[in-house]
Amino acid sequence: MSMKKNYVVETIRKAQMVQLLADGKRMDERALDQHRKLTIETGIIQKANGSARVTLGNTQVIAGVKIATGTPFPDSPDKGLLVVNAEILPMASPYAEPGPPSEEAIELARVVDRGIRESEMVDLTNLCLVPGKSVVTVFVDCNVMNVDGNLFDATSYAVVAALRTAKMKKYVVKDEKAEATDVLIPVPVERTPVSVTFARIGEKMVVDPDTEEEASMDMRITITTDDDGNVCASQKGEASTISPSQVLEAVDTSIRVGKEIRAQIIEATK
Amino acid sequence: MGEAKKKLIVDGKRLDGRKWDDLRPISLQVGLMKNADGSAYIEWGKNKIMAAVYGPKEVHPKHQVLPDRALLRCRYHMAPFSVDERKNPAPSRREIEISKVIREALVPAVIVEDYPRTAIEVWVEVLQSDGGSRCAGITAAALALADAGINMRDMVSGCSCGLIEDTVVADLDDTEDKEGNGDMPVAIMPNLGQVTLLQVDGIYSREQFQKAFELAIEKGKQIYGMQRDALAARFFGGETTSSQVEEAAE
Amino acid sequence: MITKGNHRYGPYIEKRGDEYIALRVGLAEVGREGVKLNPLTGPYLPRAEDDVIGKVVDINGFGWVVDINSCFDGFLPASFVFGREFSPSTHDLSSKFKVGDMIGARIESFERSRDPQLSIRGHGYGKVESGEIVKISPTKVPRLIGRRGAMINLISEKTGSDVRVGQNGIVVVNGTPEGIVKAARAVRMVEEEAHAADLMTKVEGFLGGN
Repeated sequence: MSMKKNYVVETIRKAQMVQLLADGKRMDERALDQHRKLTIETGIIQKANGSARVTLGNTQVIAGVKIATGTPFPDSPDKGLLVVNAEILPMASPYAEPGPPSEEAIELARVVDRGIRESEMVDLTNLCLVPGKSVVTVFVDCNVMNVDGNLFDATSYAVVAALRTAKMKKYVVKDEKAEATDVLIPVPVERTPVSVTFARIGEKMVVDPDTEEEASMDMRITITTDDDGNVCASQKGEASTISPSQVLEAVDTSIRVGKEIRAQIIEATK
Repeated sequence: MGEAKKKLIVDGKRLDGRKWDDLRPISLQVGLMKNADGSAYIEWGKNKIMAAVYGPKEVHPKHQVLPDRALLRCRYHMAPFSVDERKNPAPSRREIEISKVIREALVPAVIVEDYPRTAIEVWVEVLQSDGGSRCAGITAAALALADAGINMRDMVSGCSCGLIEDTVVADLDDTEDKEGNGDMPVAIMPNLGQVTLLQVDGIYSREQFQKAFELAIEKGKQIYGMQRDALAARFFGGETTSSQVEEAAE
Repeated sequence: MITKGNHRYGPYIEKRGDEYIALRVGLAEVGREGVKLNPLTGPYLPRAEDDVIGKVVDINGFGWVVDINSCFDGFLPASFVFGREFSPSTHDLSSKFKVGDMIGARIESFERSRDPQLSIRGHGYGKVESGEIVKISPTKVPRLIGRRGAMINLISEKTGSDVRVGQNGIVVVNGTPEGIVKAARAVRMVEEEAHAADLMTKVEGFLGGN
């Protein structure tokens, strides 16, 4: 008896999928560059400084922002701290197990973190209280509640939505000590990075893969772009190759699709 | 101590306006999680908890298999953003103890003998915590087991009672738990009239203990009614039952 | 509790004193045949002689491991398929069934100490070559089949498709593209409305009009 590690796609379904893709269609009738229904709810955890629940098809992620004070890193004494963490809950999938984060969960957290950090969505110099001694630490923790493909994008959108709507206490510095006042200010957020993930099945690239598409793909690539159309982060996954032209094509699609999703995120987090 | 202690009861009302035996608002929803075999979401006051069940399924690692019954596994976990001060995601000793206590509260209700050589996994995730989360977690977990269609002798319903300012009260919230004199989480199997979870902290006189204990049991039965309603809503679309077809939920 | 008294009673029910207690969420009936409970949710527990539809998830030296939508995976021994002369060195199992293939099989035996054994001996078993796969709760299979096949025949005839139901809740539909879509919807309808008393009428209404 072997342990099922991953979802096995039925050969019948895969054959149907490949045939549809040749005609530019997918099993659930989406276009190749179309994402599933995206819903964004914010403020669902009142005890958190900010929170969001995102559903992308059946994939569901909850992100929560908690603010604390801490000591800065020695090599960046005037910058606040941003910590992005993700856990794929055991309830999210029959293949998820409890325990320390798997390499999948760690890659997820780090890729999402990179997209936020490199885009400078949160200007960490704005979070400095007493240089070298006391800075604001922004924790963003993500719980993947249900897995149905494309955890990267769903988690990223949840983090962005939670940060955009997060509030923190205003700190004042007296005698080199930071004190929290009762005034609430928004967490300083500059821009809205959006990640778009592709799966390659055969020769076709599809946006926002679901479980079956992920189980059939031979390569995955995530590209994060910002409001100005700049690429700020990218990650290729799965043991396979990708041609330079496919990468550039994906970048163009990501900028285009990212723009539409950005508008939706901004609308939901006004 | 020099500082004035917070008053928890003013003019016969608690800080949130409740009377001594009022429960906080509770809502239950069954079947929201798509991948899990069964699930239930509970909002109890400010508590927000999702419970989900997978099983019966294969046991891994194999050596833990029980030849004549199912192995019930349970994990109670608090999300880092669920409490006032961000909590490290790694399981704390408190969470490990509560996981065990919840498992032991559920096992008597589940007919594990019907599923030999399998595992039944119960995941309780606290998304927001505000006192009484283990009882709320058990209440949701038992519902999730019923949603998964696992044979059960009875439902399990939980409620905690305790002491604040020497008065017995039902359902302590976080402030009352922290500032009060005692907390007593209880879970019962309402039809069989048996207690499956009991923890006590604080100092109770004999009379206070009995009053708090019996109050917790009474409230547990009230919560059982809500669990039944939640199952009816899920499986019968809220239709009222006719005389021939009767909703039989345990 | 379902009812009191002195009755015959079926599975998922326990008698305590003179009360009949349901052990699962379902529809209870008290009638001439005694007290019955039709569960509305729950896993598929393998039973010998059940027809099931499964998915090959692994191949080892001695046979195929098959996901039968249950708490245990089924096992189809290579010797059942290739015969007694089978040996791992001469026969390539994946030439017959690959990982991902759907197969119709029978549960040959289910003993307490082993995983369920499958067999494909007989007419109609073996690889499922095509079709739309619909997964339903195994508890709804009796409703989908209907009294003496009434429901399943209704759906097949009205949509011109072949609807194959495994006791384990896996359904495969074959036919014309339009027929498949309609039949699959009808199957979903049965699953969602299994508790309705007038289910047959509802399905007829859905299928009958065009």
